[in-house]
Amino acid sequence: MAARPRLFGRRRSRDEPSPARGKSGARAADGELFDEAFLARLELLQVIARRLFRGRQRAERKTRKVGSGLEFADHREYSPGDDIRNLDWNVLMRLDQTLVRLYEEDEDLPIRIAVDVSDSMATGAAIQKLRYAQQVAAALAYVGLANLDRVGLTCMSGKVHTTLPAVRGKGRIFRVFEFLKGAPRGGPTDLRAACKRLAAESQQPGLTVVISDFYDLDGAFDGLNLLRFRKHEPVAIQVLDPEEADPTGSGLRGDVRIVDCEGTGEQDVTLTAATLRAYAAAHARFCEALEKSCRGRGIPYFRAETSVPFDDLVLRLFRQGGILR
Amino acid sequence: MTFAGWALAEVATLFAVGALGITGLYLLRMRRRRVVVPFAALWDRVTRESDTRRLWRKLRRVLSWLLQLALLALLCVALGDPRPDVWLRDPVTLALVIDRSASMAGPAADADGDARTRLDAAVERARAELNALGPADRALVITAGAEVRVPGPLSGDPGQLLRSLDDLTVQPGESDLARAIALAQNAVRGQEGARVLVLTDGALDVPGASALRGCVGDALPCKLAIFSGPNANLALTAFAARRYPEDREHVEVLAEVQNLGDAPATAVLEVEADGVSVGRRSVELAAGESRREIIPKVEAARTRLRARLLPAGELAEGDITRGGLGPADDDLAHAIVPPLRPIKVALVNDGTNLFLEAALLTLEDHIELRGVPVADMIAGAPAIDEADLVIFDIADNPLPDPLPARNLVLFDPARREGSPSPIKKRADIPRPFLTEQLSEHPLLEHVVLKDINIARGTSFELEAGDEALVRSLGEPVVVLRSGLRSVLAIGFDPRQSDLPLRVAFPVLVHNIIEYFERAMPGFVASVPVGARRPLALAELGLNPEGLGAVAITGPERDEDAAEEPTEDEDGAGAETELRAPVQDGIFRMRAMEPGVYRIRAVDGPNAGAEVLVAVNQASVLASDLHNRVAALGLPEDTGAPAPPEPAPVGDGPLWSLLLLAAAALIALEWATYHRRVTV
Repeated sequence: MAARPRLFGRRRSRDEPSPARGKSGARAADGELFDEAFLARLELLQVIARRLFRGRQRAERKTRKVGSGLEFADHREYSPGDDIRNLDWNVLMRLDQTLVRLYEEDEDLPIRIAVDVSDSMATGAAIQKLRYAQQVAAALAYVGLANLDRVGLTCMSGKVHTTLPAVRGKGRIFRVFEFLKGAPRGGPTDLRAACKRLAAESQQPGLTVVISDFYDLDGAFDGLNLLRFRKHEPVAIQVLDPEEADPTGSGLRGDVRIVDCEGTGEQDVTLTAATLRAYAAAHARFCEALEKSCRGRGIPYFRAETSVPFDDLVLRLFRQGGILR
Repeated sequence: MTFAGWALAEVATLFAVGALGITGLYLLRMRRRRVVVPFAALWDRVTRESDTRRLWRKLRRVLSWLLQLALLALLCVALGDPRPDVWLRDPVTLALVIDRSASMAGPAADADGDARTRLDAAVERARAELNALGPADRALVITAGAEVRVPGPLSGDPGQLLRSLDDLTVQPGESDLARAIALAQNAVRGQEGARVLVLTDGALDVPGASALRGCVGDALPCKLAIFSGPNANLALTAFAARRYPEDREHVEVLAEVQNLGDAPATAVLEVEADGVSVGRRSVELAAGESRREIIPKVEAARTRLRARLLPAGELAEGDITRGGLGPADDDLAHAIVPPLRPIKVALVNDGTNLFLEAALLTLEDHIELRGVPVADMIAGAPAIDEADLVIFDIADNPLPDPLPARNLVLFDPARREGSPSPIKKRADIPRPFLTEQLSEHPLLEHVVLKDINIARGTSFELEAGDEALVRSLGEPVVVLRSGLRSVLAIGFDPRQSDLPLRVAFPVLVHNIIEYFERAMPGFVASVPVGARRPLALAELGLNPEGLGAVAITGPERDEDAAEEPTEDEDGAGAETELRAPVQDGIFRMRAMEPGVYRIRAVDGPNAGAEVLVAVNQASVLASDLHNRVAALGLPEDTGAPAPPEPAPVGDGPLWSLLLLAAAALIALEWATYHRRVTV
């Protein structure tokens, strides 16, 4: 089947190098998501969760769990079976009460990064949105792994749902890379179903970063809201191609047949400057509505345009937005 | 409607093939360009249309296809060159003969003060005829003035023919309608639908009327369109000056004014000499009346005379009749005062006829008489060689052989056998009775020879051009042979008659002298306007000996002339120099406009010598505005019907309109459908 002309770019093969712009993107070798210098800078960052989640293993992140940490937290009555090494002997001697010293326990943070791999993410004039999303996901994963958090990844679409179980430690970053590069892709965008499945298979709620173009009129926000109901802390990162968002400068005119890249339908359209302006305005309204919905429910929302170098996005915008520090 | 180009089957085939092609192209165009987008749902929301708009969008393609088919149909029909049946009538070849004689300057019948002349009406009718020509018709325009011209050659382009009518003007004098009609008939005879249309005012001379009658009677259809009108016209029909025989320092001016209209008319006759008025008289003439006004004692020092007819009162603006004066060409006349030079007469006689000598001696004021004895009458004698006129009155003596090459008057030249007289003897007449004479001839003016007794005489053989002035029972007795060297032969000896005893004798001698004197330099008659008038140089005062060509310049402009000179089409009427060859002392002068012309010898011993010639219309027939066609008795259907209405479309055939319609459809289709550029 002959390749169809694509609006705002073309679909690239998996192994095709991305003409990624940006400092690290430009330096990245073929198949690499970013270089070591960028990784070194990422090590200084930490993923911020607004809520405290229960971890599984000891780590560097404070939890509400009182246990075997180093920092004193509280006293409680001794109960049989308690480790007598935790008895506060000073209190016992002075007040003749048997109190046990409680310490704050440091645990890890469950981070789940969900990358939309639908066909709509495979478009983009200069940089494929999927490639951009993978780079952002890898960066966030590395930040989490560097802070001993448990990081899991999911590539999702209406057809694909592949999960990398949560891993821990910087050494696992290569598994993350391989997973991102090797995960299947394609299919329509169905964020509601994907998020529902994501929530269902997550045994422990945590920080869930959804990286997508959110080109789903009905399920874009519903998926995020579903995660929120399941005690996750969702973070929405909307990856956009500027030319897709505002096609007035594309020079496209005349009678064309609009074909959805995800195969959901086609229609005959007469493209005029007014039509293109109307689309740009509708796209802007759609994004603003999504942002407004997210903000209204306390969901962090980031708009990542592919024209912005992704390392700039990670190192500056995410820090300004409070997702990293 | 008929296809004059491609046949209907060919047009239909072409349309079918073209329609298939267009339909195929449209089917290909129906496959829109496919553009892949990541968010079609949003596109659908943006470009959602109403049902009406969607229907129109679908119809638009169909309409565009139908328009292209209509376009193809128009082009195919244009190739067929469709023509209304009215255009496909048999082709017509029309020869328009337009009379532009002087009378065509008269007012037309429907001139309601809009200064429309008969020529204007004729040109308007010619335009209507040319505008009514169909695509297959052809026409030519011939103008008949003093010269026949073809301003519009045979052509099917009405625009070119119409342009040929733009600068048409009236020519002075009569029209050479006979040649114009003959030319028109020869030009269109044998052509498809040939016919001749003569546009004239009917004021024709005899040859013109005869030509018109012949045209109507010819097998070639010939129609007339008459544009007559008011006939009022006062004309100067003669204007001349002569020196008094007894007073050579003064001249007598004669102007003849004729009322050619149907009502009494009044005008002022003004005569000027070298720009100075020498006479001004009011003339009041009844209808058809002619009057000669003589202005005496005008100084001969003034060489150029001009007579004008002026309106008696103030002229109203736009009065084309000029207060009853009619066309202007015949209200102006020119004359040249003859130069003063006595005629040299050599009288060869035997001394026995004193009556002749006495009669000649009475004219000594304007002749230079020299007597030559019979014994000295050999050719080459100085008196004879220098003489302008040689009179042989030698009784029974033989004439010299050859006779001198001079103007000759021979008394009884055939008395002896073997006479060298150029006018040969026919028979002897024992006792001739002079029974007939040409009383109107200048030689016999005031002379009656009927009852003269003559003892004996001879009759003469007439040749072409000879005039028998006096006859005896039908036999020519007195014969005049005109030419470069004129000869007057009188077939009896005055001594053998009682003519010398009669009063008629000195009068006859006077007439003879005056006749030859007029032919000599010194009496220059005015020349009528015309294309090729043969003129004898000797009559104008130029010595033709050794002269091969003359230069003609003129007419000279009068600085104070009221009327603007009209320039002829080829400039011949303007003051330009034309050269005319001279043969046997005669040249042909082309003078299309009244005025004073200058004749200059360009070669020969007298190179550079100049004489003046006055050219006038001076023709009653040319000035008469009456329609004389009715008197010709032509058939009733001779009149041309009214011109048909012009074709609804101008010059171009219908296919040009179809092409325009196709172009309009292309523009419409482009503006409504293809205005968007698909990238």
